[in-house]
Amino acid sequence: MPDGPRTETATEAAPDRLSEFPRHQERIMKGNYAAAEAARLCRVGFVPAYPITPQTTIVERLSEMVSNGEMDATYVNMDSEHSVFAAAMGAALGGERVFTATAGQGLFYAHEVLQAISHFRLPMVMCNVGRPSIPWNIWSDQSDSLSQRDTGWIQYYGESSQEVLDTIIQAYLLSEQLNIPVMVVLDAFYQSHTSENIWIPEQDLVDEFLPPRRTAEMSIDLAQPKAFGGLVPPEHYYKFNYNSWKDVNKVESLSAKIAGRFAGHFGRKYGNVEAVNIGPQTRLVLVTISSITTTARGVIRKYPDVGLLKIRLFKPFPKASVLDALKNLPENAILANVERNFLGDREGAIQQEMKRALYGSRNLRMLDFYAGVGGKDVPPLTIEKIIYRATHSPEDINWIDVD
Amino acid sequence: MIEIRGHARGGQGMVTAFEILAKIFNKLGGFKVQAFPAFGVERTGAPIQAFLRVAQNEIFNRSNIYHPHLIIIFDESLLEQVPVFEGLKENGAVLVNTEKSPAAFAGRANQIYTVPATRISLELGLGSKSLPIINAAMIGAVMRIFQAELDMALPVLRQSVPIKPDANAESASRAFESVQGLEEGNEYLVQCLYARDAEMEVVPEEILAQSAGVHSDAFQAPFWNVPMSSNKTGNWRLMTPSYVSKTPPCNANCPAGTDVRAFVRLTAEKKFDEAFEVIARHNPFPGICGRVCPHFCEQNCNRNQLDEGLNVGAMERFLGDRLRQRPLKPSPIRYKERIAVIGSGPAGLTAALRLRRKGYPVTVFEALPLAGGMMRAGIPKFRLPDEVLDEEIAAILKEGVEIQTSHRVTVEELATKGFNAVITAVGSHIGLALGLENEHLFAEGITFLRNFKLHGEKDGIKKGDEIAIIGGGNTAIDLARTALRLGAIPTIYYRRTITEMPAIAQEVEEAMAEGVQMEFLSAPIAVNLTKEGLITMRLQDMRLGPQDDSGRRRPVPIAGSERDVVVDKVIAAIGQEFDDFVFHGQKVEPQQGKVIYKGNVPVFCAGDMAWGGTVAEAIGSGNKVAEEVDAFLRGIPYHHDETLPEVVLPEDINYTYFLPSARHRSEFKYNRNLFNDFTEVSAGLEEHELVEEGGRCLHCGDCFNCGNCFNFCPDAAIFVDESGRIRIDYDYCKGCGICAQECPCSAIQFQLQEEETL
Repeated sequence: MPDGPRTETATEAAPDRLSEFPRHQERIMKGNYAAAEAARLCRVGFVPAYPITPQTTIVERLSEMVSNGEMDATYVNMDSEHSVFAAAMGAALGGERVFTATAGQGLFYAHEVLQAISHFRLPMVMCNVGRPSIPWNIWSDQSDSLSQRDTGWIQYYGESSQEVLDTIIQAYLLSEQLNIPVMVVLDAFYQSHTSENIWIPEQDLVDEFLPPRRTAEMSIDLAQPKAFGGLVPPEHYYKFNYNSWKDVNKVESLSAKIAGRFAGHFGRKYGNVEAVNIGPQTRLVLVTISSITTTARGVIRKYPDVGLLKIRLFKPFPKASVLDALKNLPENAILANVERNFLGDREGAIQQEMKRALYGSRNLRMLDFYAGVGGKDVPPLTIEKIIYRATHSPEDINWIDVD
Repeated sequence: MIEIRGHARGGQGMVTAFEILAKIFNKLGGFKVQAFPAFGVERTGAPIQAFLRVAQNEIFNRSNIYHPHLIIIFDESLLEQVPVFEGLKENGAVLVNTEKSPAAFAGRANQIYTVPATRISLELGLGSKSLPIINAAMIGAVMRIFQAELDMALPVLRQSVPIKPDANAESASRAFESVQGLEEGNEYLVQCLYARDAEMEVVPEEILAQSAGVHSDAFQAPFWNVPMSSNKTGNWRLMTPSYVSKTPPCNANCPAGTDVRAFVRLTAEKKFDEAFEVIARHNPFPGICGRVCPHFCEQNCNRNQLDEGLNVGAMERFLGDRLRQRPLKPSPIRYKERIAVIGSGPAGLTAALRLRRKGYPVTVFEALPLAGGMMRAGIPKFRLPDEVLDEEIAAILKEGVEIQTSHRVTVEELATKGFNAVITAVGSHIGLALGLENEHLFAEGITFLRNFKLHGEKDGIKKGDEIAIIGGGNTAIDLARTALRLGAIPTIYYRRTITEMPAIAQEVEEAMAEGVQMEFLSAPIAVNLTKEGLITMRLQDMRLGPQDDSGRRRPVPIAGSERDVVVDKVIAAIGQEFDDFVFHGQKVEPQQGKVIYKGNVPVFCAGDMAWGGTVAEAIGSGNKVAEEVDAFLRGIPYHHDETLPEVVLPEDINYTYFLPSARHRSEFKYNRNLFNDFTEVSAGLEEHELVEEGGRCLHCGDCFNCGNCFNFCPDAAIFVDESGRIRIDYDYCKGCGICAQECPCSAIQFQLQEEETL
């Protein structure tokens, strides 16, 4: 490669360029492989799996790593996603650190067991590569995971594949401290199949951060036989829910604390949410999750009065973090929620959650924008159209690029 | 930042190539990279796209590339199918894998480079001709465009390819040297690569305002009843299904050449006149064939694998009888050449009729007082009533064929009478001898049948006589059943077993039911007259040895098993040969078509004397000889295509889609007292039974609009057109092959090439 032309810009230091991370290796890797890499680094001991596009290469890579000895885990190819999660449940009861991944129909099929896992209070991490249901479609969409937001799982949405890898490592710590399962969601193709620069931490670095799973009180002990899943009558049932509720309330602050520890240890900082260009000058804030965020970051550099609120922890919705991120936003500013989901309601999932979060605290005008469902590309132009429409007599609910 | 878009077909390895390029760029300049496919159509043969962004700093875009700096085309054929040049930046460049020079693409972009990547890859054994793996070559060419040090890229390439690192590296090097259209590198592209900030384009307000909202009335929602019209997936297709008509086993096995499947279908549709027309094209004797043909069609019917073959004979008989007395008139005479046919059997009359229809004057010469050949002289009335034979021959006469009966002629005689061609179809009316001493004591079977049928001669057979019949063919069976009706007690002696009997199986069954005795594995070895004037026949037992030339097991005598039987009469029916009287002492080897005959008239042979031995075979022979004679007289080379057609076999049929249903059997009726009863034994079937029987057809190799393909097509690419025909919409057919797989009757072919007719 010849030297680049010696233009002014070329000689400037790149402020947003990632610096080298010590005790890491830079690799060009697909998002799905990064997820599998994370599971390996977390020393997962059990992987039940069933392939489904666009998740397939995650479990494919895991099976490869287990078979060639890179990973010391039991890998079981199950007959369906329902069985995958049933097996995951059993192994988690037995004290194993469990990982699996699915997408779309697979997640819908597992719905019943998702409930059981979270209400059994079993720690584990799964990846979901978002795709919708019908009309038949394998492309990027968050309707699958968002429709499962009330199953009791914690949900993170990763903007980049690096973030997915890093979040999985944090998620095990969170999950095992609270005994609540975590779902880490990545976008189909824009992440899952996109090869990009990823920093892979060394195993020791991860080991220092994430201790082995401690034996839970309810794990299987042959010397002390127990029965799981018995009938719980009304006078006791609420106690389980009450306990769960108390722990769910801890998620937001614990998540932030773990992310802070992670930043100190690995050098990469994540919040429950991230505010970009939100201040007194901002008159419009785009609220985004996942990979659309990256494109929006690029676009708002052209719009000094447009900010960005990225939601990383989606469930339980980080009310305090959101309010904090918007604290300098003037009352006459507008929030534009960008939805890559359709849940059969007037409003998309982000707007529903944002309204709940702001109720009683802020009275900002909120607009909803459906864009990019079923993998419809969201290029910079679409983001710019959202900005234009949000500032030029918008409807409360808008569909972008309907033609 | 630089943005590259690639166009290829699934299977060419472009997605991998872009991943490797991402690694190479990262290695070479520490760039931030992003490589991804426009996924979903990632399927062999389907047009696909891949994208690559390379930047000095963080890439703030995770969407497809619409305005690339560089477009890479892996497959030249895409140029005509996909808008590959769309959105190219004004100063951007295009790299095409082709043998052509950039001049061939002039005007399509400002900068065009070409590289013969397919040739380079094949020379190095990468991939196959149908699917060359051109990854490495294309990577080499891209390196050249960016003026990169290839040596630094090659280690990454070697590491990233799954096999053949040396060949891949060599392929990249050769391609690096073979890029046409540029000298150094592309300065503009190199500059963009190193530019620190992505260009901030200002989008005009009118474009931003173009965003129809949820309340747009113009928006038309799609629904499921039609293919998703905007997504024309037909160009994903590698294999193409198309409706075909293949040869069914019934048609392939009919010696007469009848389109059996067609007339069966028309019968099921109650289109009896049309069904008759289908038969009559090849066969002037449907009423006769419906009764006496062994029905090779039924024997080979694919339905036999499911339950029982169709009763085609009953349909043919019904159709023939229904229109036996139809009005007919002769075709106009178009030619002056006169044709003589010797013999008025099925071969002679078929040939005569076919040639008469073509416009030749035809005269048939028959030695016997009545026309019909073996149908007249050999087949008893209880199988073939006289009125059927008379009326089907009368129809031939109505069409203008002249028959001279009781006129025994030779070829030589006819040559002097000005005929331009002679067809000899004299059949096989001379019984063969066993070669035993005192064989004159035997009566001869075919002669007996002829004399009895034409003249009522019983050859001395009386009620209660014990008759021994030697042989296992149809003549032997007909003899035995005739003898029964004369009050005699017939026994058939056959040297092999019932399995090897050449007679029609159903006839054998009927004969046994009527009371004919049969002794198998018995052969006469001597014969003598007793003092009482009876005949004593010495029989020897046989066992079956190895196969002979006919494919049947040869009878082998068992020494010491001799025994005598005493009977009133022995009739031998072991085979027949033709009467060479027609050739007037000249030694002629009969064969189908033109034969070597020394004389001044061309001579052709047909019927039993040439080949075969059934009515259907004789008809087929007559059809063929008519074509040959016509060609000869018109001076056209005659070529009969003897290549066997590809026939639909049981393994081609999806039997799961057919329900079992019983064959409608023609009722076999006979009186307990058969004495002097020559009424027809087979009752035939009623119209409604035949329509149902036609409905049992599996339609081997012929679409019958069952709708399976329509139901199974996952892309709704199969539709019913205005005329009710099922058709494939190739705009949407992805070539999955499910239609061909689920076709019950093998009427959809699924092959690599696009049909030209599509």
